[in-house]
Amino acid sequence: MTDSEYDVVVIGGGSTGTAVARDCAMRGLKTLLLERDDIASATVGTCAGMISSGLKYSDEPDIMAMCSKEVVHFNHIACHIIMKNPILAPLLELSDAASDSSYVDSYSAHAEERDVPAMLFLTPEASREIEPMLHPDIIASVYYEEFFIDPFRLCMLQALDAINHGATVRTYCEVIGFDINNNTELEGIIFYNRVSGTTERVSTKLVINATGPWAHKIAKLADEELDIRLNKGAHVILDRRVVNVGITVKAIDGRWIYLFPHENTTLLGTTALDTWEDPDSLVASFDEIEYLLQSIETILPSIRETRIIRTMAGVRPLVPEWKRPEGKVTRGYRIIDHSETGKTKGLISFTGGKLVMCRHMAEAVTDLVCKKLGKAAACTTHTQALPGNDADVDVAALSKDFGISLHALERMRARRGTEMLKVLELTKEHPEWKTTICTCEPVIEAEMRYAIREEFPQTLNDLRRRLRLGTGPCQGTFCTYKAAAILSEELDLGGDDFLVDILDFRAERWKGIRQSMRGEQLAQEELTLGMYSCVGNLDQSDVDYDIKPWEEGF
Amino acid sequence: MKLKSDILVIGGGMAGLVAGIIAAESGATTLLLRKGQSATAYSSGAIDIIGYLPEATEPFSAPSEGLAAIAGLYPLHPYGVVGYGDNVAPEEVVDTIIERVRDSVVWLKDRLEGTIASVVGDFQSNFSPISILGTTKPTCLVQTTMNPGDIHEREDSVLLFAGITGYPDFNPSSASKTYLEDRIAMGQPPHKVGFCMTKIMPFGKSFNISSIEIARHLDHKGSIETLAEQIDVQVKRIGATHVAIPPVLGIRHALKSKLELEKAIGAEVFELLGFPPSIPGLRLQLALEEVYTKAGGKLLAGHEAISSSRKGKTINSILARSPRREISIDTKAIILATGKYIGGGIAGNENGIRETVFDIMTVTGEYHSAKDIVPSRVTHRLEISPMGQQIQTCGLSIDPQFRPIREDGLEWAENVFAAGAVLAGYNYSVEKSGLGVALTSGYGAAMNAVDRIKGVA
Repeated sequence: MTDSEYDVVVIGGGSTGTAVARDCAMRGLKTLLLERDDIASATVGTCAGMISSGLKYSDEPDIMAMCSKEVVHFNHIACHIIMKNPILAPLLELSDAASDSSYVDSYSAHAEERDVPAMLFLTPEASREIEPMLHPDIIASVYYEEFFIDPFRLCMLQALDAINHGATVRTYCEVIGFDINNNTELEGIIFYNRVSGTTERVSTKLVINATGPWAHKIAKLADEELDIRLNKGAHVILDRRVVNVGITVKAIDGRWIYLFPHENTTLLGTTALDTWEDPDSLVASFDEIEYLLQSIETILPSIRETRIIRTMAGVRPLVPEWKRPEGKVTRGYRIIDHSETGKTKGLISFTGGKLVMCRHMAEAVTDLVCKKLGKAAACTTHTQALPGNDADVDVAALSKDFGISLHALERMRARRGTEMLKVLELTKEHPEWKTTICTCEPVIEAEMRYAIREEFPQTLNDLRRRLRLGTGPCQGTFCTYKAAAILSEELDLGGDDFLVDILDFRAERWKGIRQSMRGEQLAQEELTLGMYSCVGNLDQSDVDYDIKPWEEGF
Repeated sequence: MKLKSDILVIGGGMAGLVAGIIAAESGATTLLLRKGQSATAYSSGAIDIIGYLPEATEPFSAPSEGLAAIAGLYPLHPYGVVGYGDNVAPEEVVDTIIERVRDSVVWLKDRLEGTIASVVGDFQSNFSPISILGTTKPTCLVQTTMNPGDIHEREDSVLLFAGITGYPDFNPSSASKTYLEDRIAMGQPPHKVGFCMTKIMPFGKSFNISSIEIARHLDHKGSIETLAEQIDVQVKRIGATHVAIPPVLGIRHALKSKLELEKAIGAEVFELLGFPPSIPGLRLQLALEEVYTKAGGKLLAGHEAISSSRKGKTINSILARSPRREISIDTKAIILATGKYIGGGIAGNENGIRETVFDIMTVTGEYHSAKDIVPSRVTHRLEISPMGQQIQTCGLSIDPQFRPIREDGLEWAENVFAAGAVLAGYNYSVEKSGLGVALTSGYGAAMNAVDRIKGVA
């Protein structure tokens, strides 16, 4: 077997793709992961990070049981990037509680396994003691607890762990075709390297299509039909954690929506709209933003006083069940072996699934892969920890030792667990790298340099996913140019590339800022334009800047 | 508490302070309310008059050229309004604009002479100072400490970018590459550029050092010498004729620092155009405040105008609030110079865009009502482009006397004048016209206010 011959090529660097690559590599398969953009750059990067107990799917008891078990596994392998959120579902009238109360029993049945209390009903007083912003007229609330994971770090750690186990991970490599022989056996895969601008080919025995909302397009490259239901979900992102606990409410159309504290922000979501748009160009609409605000306002009347920093929109790759609302479509996943549904031997696709199931999906497909390759190897992805999960870190002591603020170190721990010690090690030789580059999050220069060296980012946007750089209220106003300079130094880029990196990141941030712009964000934008257009004169720059998909058209 | 003034200025940035100085110098009793830090204090130290037409990509080589173009294409631009008046014939409008803007530039240069924010450059031509990114931009005036001298004219010029370890706002390696690539593309000097790092540790630590800390440190006698020693070695290493450093040379003694550095290293030294927090912006703010108070104006910092009372066609009193007190101020004329979104003069949300002190009608850059405009609807899909963002052109529409107007086109009040970023119809970040419009409109609004109270009195 030469370097360019693989047992399995995984397409897609989202939660499922990275989980599959990790599982395949851990079972000793020669594995290549191809991602056309960056790790976690699409669907998973626009989710709330909830690894759900399956509460919403109480009519699918098997799925609920599976979700609960997966939460236990994640807490075992990735506890350093997980946070538990208590959640209140306040009721304004009795009909706000679901007519069928079986969800209380089915949630509580699995609660002990996840080490959370059974579902509780709270009085209005007790509810407001937990969250004083609640509407005075609530009659009761339901209390439960869910776990949340940093979706970017999860994907990154799965990819890094796959690499640790021998896999090759290639970002910015877009699959453009398959080699299929006369016996309809898939033999090779052809992809375009977007960094070098060249086309490459590798041989492989199997291909796993984990491309989420692009799954049907990849299948089409092998002339296979794949039915999938694409559904848009948008979030409004508020500055800081403005509620003490997560809040879920019935939206104005009767769906459930939520407000979750998440990292240094609060997420308000989501909408559900069937979509046929290019996922790359989707943004939240004014109606979606109002729908979410109007809905949460019924329970949290003061929500509009918060600082709205941006929106984000993603696409759910649902199982193709039609003529029913998004909420009624199964949250299970399907593994489609195209040798059975069509003719191509060696191509396997996913539809459906949820973040919480990504490891389970990987296990199932890797079982199938091993069977096809005649390999006997058991899955260990639920027992072996992801990098950084090893032990707890005493950030208070580290803060004293290194003279770095406790808050900065706590945030770093939430991304890296014990791996943060490697970052801090860098500051011994370079104390100046203790400088805070992104003050909103915060992120210090040493972590930025470490991520550039160890986590293969190409752009500032890639660094954002690894570090939460530029995700705070200023949306990169103050860190974009500083971080671009550091990226330029580390990657030895030219002067034009430095400016392109700045423009790229501004474009990506603007994509989400623009739709919900109001209040303080107007002043923030005036400042941004004052810096980059007025002083930096970048609006007049003649560097080779590629128009982004969401910037096209009129 | 009750106070009285002839002219009350609301807002303490460039427009408000210029208006206040004009008013106070005219002999009028002048009060100025300032809520917080102004956008002027965040500015780079360059005073732009006009660099580009909106959406155009060719810079103007002289402000007069740009003003003539604005007058022809955008007659409702604040610069266009400068040219109107009862005694200006249509064919004299362009010359009148140029003359009035020139007058205000000459006036400002004179007032800033000898202050901590003295400026160089003149109305005859734009020039291209260098930013901390290594890019250049056309501007009219820069602070004396920021004068790049003959760097772009001298064939043998060699530029050294000097950074400061642990001060992340300026990275000399990226800036020098960007700048050199640009000069090579233009085929112009300098043909050689280098960079170095220096160590300045105001508090003994080598990380998280801010511009304010460095500037205060360099204001102390003797502290420039250690910097000079470090730069001197690097100047000799590459044979630099010029040294570019971030804008941190001092708050009160920056010019002295520059001259001392130059003497010690034998090369010209200049500060780059920087981003907030901006020391040159702070110097400009402080210098203008000093000129204002010297002229007899009274400054009420930390005071916000919260309501007003009207008598017929005039506003005769304003209620101002600070954390500790409320003051009622009787006044004969008001100059509204509250800025845009940073300054707080204009605010917007999903229900529309409004003026925050008097709730005067707002308009978009195309002079449609902005009252019910959702901010995102007046934005462009490209954030940073010569098209700019129309949201940044929203504000007040004014009559030829700089008085904000109502829906019917008449002035909102006979004695209320407006100046600076609160005005609609110009986009300073793409035009490179920010402080220039603030200066000219502040100057013009105050002249009109003075005329009015003299007439009334």
